[in-house]
Amino acid sequence: MNKLGWLVLTIAVAAQSVLAETRVYNWTTGWGTYNVDGGMERPVITCNGEYPWPDVRVKKGDRLEVYLNNGFDDRNTSLHFHGLFQNGTNQMDGPPMVVQCPLGPGDTFLYNFTVDDNVGTYWYHSHSKGQYQDGMRAAFVIEDDDIPYDYDEDVVLQIGEWYHEVADELNEAFMSLYNPTGAEPIPQNLIMNSTRNMTWEVKPDTTYLLRIANTGGFVSQYIWIEDHEMEVVEVDGIYTEKNTTNMLYITTAQRYAVLIHTKNDTSKNFAIMQKFDDTMLDLIPDDLQLNTTNYMVYNSSAPLPEQNVVDELDFLDDFYLVPYSKQELLGDPDYQIVINVTMDNLASGINYAFFNNLTYTEPKVPALLTALSAGEDAVNAEVYGSNTHTYVLGKDEIIEIVLNNLDTGTHPFHLHGHAFQTLVRDIGYDDALGEVPHPYDDNDHPDFPEYPMIRDTLYVRPQSNFVIRFKADNPGVWMFHCHIEWHLTQGLALILVEDPLSIQESQSQQLTDNHKNVCKGVGISTEGNAAGNSTDYLNLFGENVQEKFIATGFTAKGIVAFVFSCIAAVLGLISIAVYGLMDLSNIEEKVMDELDLDISEVEAVNSSSDLTSEPKELIK
Amino acid sequence: MTTGSKVFNVSVFFVVFRECLEAVVIVSVLLSFLKQSVGTQDIKIYKRLRKQVWIGVASGFFICLAIGGGFIGAYYSLQNDIFGSAEDLWEGIFCMIATVMISIMGIAMLRVNKMQAKWRVKIARALLDIPERKRDRFKIGHLSRRYAMFLLPFITVLREGLEAVVFVAGAGITTQGSSATAYPLPVFVGLFAGVAVGAILYYGTSQSSMQFFLVASTCILYLISAGLFSRGAWYFENYKYNKASGGDASESGDGNGSYNIRKAVYHVNCCNPELDNGWDIFNALLGWQNTGYLSSMLCYNIYWLSLIIVVGLMMFEEKRGHLPFCKNLRLRMLSPTYWLKNKKKNEMTQAQEDELFQRVEKLNFNDQGELGHAENNVVSGSNASSTIKKEGDVVTTIPK
Repeated sequence: MNKLGWLVLTIAVAAQSVLAETRVYNWTTGWGTYNVDGGMERPVITCNGEYPWPDVRVKKGDRLEVYLNNGFDDRNTSLHFHGLFQNGTNQMDGPPMVVQCPLGPGDTFLYNFTVDDNVGTYWYHSHSKGQYQDGMRAAFVIEDDDIPYDYDEDVVLQIGEWYHEVADELNEAFMSLYNPTGAEPIPQNLIMNSTRNMTWEVKPDTTYLLRIANTGGFVSQYIWIEDHEMEVVEVDGIYTEKNTTNMLYITTAQRYAVLIHTKNDTSKNFAIMQKFDDTMLDLIPDDLQLNTTNYMVYNSSAPLPEQNVVDELDFLDDFYLVPYSKQELLGDPDYQIVINVTMDNLASGINYAFFNNLTYTEPKVPALLTALSAGEDAVNAEVYGSNTHTYVLGKDEIIEIVLNNLDTGTHPFHLHGHAFQTLVRDIGYDDALGEVPHPYDDNDHPDFPEYPMIRDTLYVRPQSNFVIRFKADNPGVWMFHCHIEWHLTQGLALILVEDPLSIQESQSQQLTDNHKNVCKGVGISTEGNAAGNSTDYLNLFGENVQEKFIATGFTAKGIVAFVFSCIAAVLGLISIAVYGLMDLSNIEEKVMDELDLDISEVEAVNSSSDLTSEPKELIK
Repeated sequence: MTTGSKVFNVSVFFVVFRECLEAVVIVSVLLSFLKQSVGTQDIKIYKRLRKQVWIGVASGFFICLAIGGGFIGAYYSLQNDIFGSAEDLWEGIFCMIATVMISIMGIAMLRVNKMQAKWRVKIARALLDIPERKRDRFKIGHLSRRYAMFLLPFITVLREGLEAVVFVAGAGITTQGSSATAYPLPVFVGLFAGVAVGAILYYGTSQSSMQFFLVASTCILYLISAGLFSRGAWYFENYKYNKASGGDASESGDGNGSYNIRKAVYHVNCCNPELDNGWDIFNALLGWQNTGYLSSMLCYNIYWLSLIIVVGLMMFEEKRGHLPFCKNLRLRMLSPTYWLKNKKKNEMTQAQEDELFQRVEKLNFNDQGELGHAENNVVSGSNASSTIKKEGDVVTTIPK
């Protein structure tokens, strides 16, 4: 590059940072009917009457003003930009009853924030129960002029699973007495870019930056492209050193940006394969296609490829990715949070998910609003409620989260407001082989990586554990939860209140007037503790709490029933014994009586035989 | 289905025992009649007839065993195909059927002397009732007379045996985790016990100790029956729950979610008769389940309550000759068949009864061992009619 070239580039970069745009979006939610996977028409959530929701591309430093209008008439909604740090704009993060009041029908919430701290591949979705599984989601790309890799074209591949029933119906059956094992609904199909058997037309000899995001709500997927290698360069918005692989394993909410260089030869087309991680399915229906073929088309007149089958699922283990920044391992933690994941039924017989025996139960006032209004008490985790599972983190502390998965499933965990370092991720332990859960042992663990992989959504293997660290340098209220939407509904979430006093002090963190109006619209107080008490923050009388655990062993009514049964049996046996040992008189008479011998008939027979009787010869 | 009672099925044992006892009673009654009527007169004929009786018993028994074995074998080889996903429903239905059967037959065990007496009359009548056709071209009458001492025990044993087969199949099916291997041992132990008790009855022993033994067995039989009733209700509950939840929750483990908590009165996370060793015995004997549903607990208590009432009524009737508050009403009059058969007029005097036995004692067999008839006024066919004559009408001689 010559000198002029350098000059032009420098000016361009400067201009870009100065000319950061404000991008305004006006979105109204609603319902429409679409046939997404070619299998069945069903109601989907539309954006301004259309489906799918628009993918959004912005430049680093842009300001976004998203006016979200709730066009539903029967439900609240919200919008979460997944992976964005929302530094200083915590109330724009999305989770209702955590950082904002739910957006009621007919109301508008202005999500107004700047994308300074993030670049790369993200997505946005409703954070209200099940809505993104009905289609309220899309990719969100923050373009970065300083991206350290060369490519020609930038393409988004959004993958996910698709149900033929709406989330409302699925949830009703899922959170039910009749789903005692908490079996997640089985999807009907895998989709790519909101369709099935998608076609991607490619040019020969071109380097594509393919941004693959799993925007599904449940299953992880294996992704591979026939006869093409993928070079991973970014995970969850974090650039990594190049890593070549043939196959990716992507859980819900995870993103991978990969470089793919197309062939020179355009005579043949190739299969882009999606495959269910079928270990996550409770059962595999006969008609479920575990593999779905999409098409990488070089030549539209050439035949489409058959599905591509592999001998083994040899996929990239993201644990060994090295961030491009080579950020070193954070120091020893100031605060370690150990959480155990379990699933169990509560008193109603419904299956819930737990961190340390707490299933996340919404407070009556969103936690951020409690943090803003609680004054000095904001540093006391109690004010956020006993059932929201809240931890208060000190300013700039190094936080270590140790997650022990005592459940037999794979779970992708997502932390809002941060990307974290991954120190340990243990192998899976298969209960079918009689293996038991392996909690993390502080004193016996593999060496931590020098440059730990960083991302915002990390899966834990069955009955296994992981250890992550981050620095509490982003004041705000952040959710940590399983990104399987079913499990979030089951309460697999907790809340981290990071440096609440700084939140209170920051001008940008104060509730916007729009936000206050939204709260008013749904009748939720903007002040008060988790129980809605704004006079005595330590008085949590009336807060929402989870159902009771199922008592083990006999309860009072069981004992009563058992005592009654025993008494009944004993009395019954006594009566049999008394009857059995009772003297029986006139047996013969009684027998005759029972055999119903008719005296008059006997008499008649006798008399008639008297007249006719003739001793007969005996048979010889 | 895992462990189960692989070798000993308690309900099968009791059913076999009960049926065997009845068969033995019948045979012993028959033998004692033979002894009285022929044994004192012609030892040779007596021995031949006795042999006929035993052959009848043996062949009846053998046929039953064959049918039973085939039946059970067929059931277990077809089981999965028959029941499929509705296994709990069928188990519930079989439990209920078994309960009804055991309940009806069980109480009669307490009146084994009554049973004996009843069979004496029945057999006496049967012997006198053997059809005699005037022009018997087909020799059926001839054959049946000739082999009466074979046919009677043969048919009796066959009938009791088939009854037992039905019971055994029913009772076996209702025992969780039962398999075809769970049959032979209880069947043979049941047979042995039945024969032993029958033999004791025949050769005579202290009436009170026998009665005591019978009371104990009946108690166990009713414990099983009450358990079966409760289990029947449990199965229905389980079936409904499994159908709604689309799986087999109770076989997936003992923990939360393995049962319908909203209908459970108690639940313990252990002691599952389908999964844990040993508890299946409590299940078979007492109807134990590690989940007590409201319906199953209620059924258990209602069963005993009903039993107490019925036994109470029987005791009252035996003492006073009628049900309480209704002088003309008796227990068996409550049965619809009683009215259908129009038996309410039937009575029999002590005199008629005595006469019946007298005639039986005078049964005549010719030197071929054929049964002869004492008189010609036999009204054959109808069971309701009687062949009994007053003393003095009978002229019975055995031609020599």
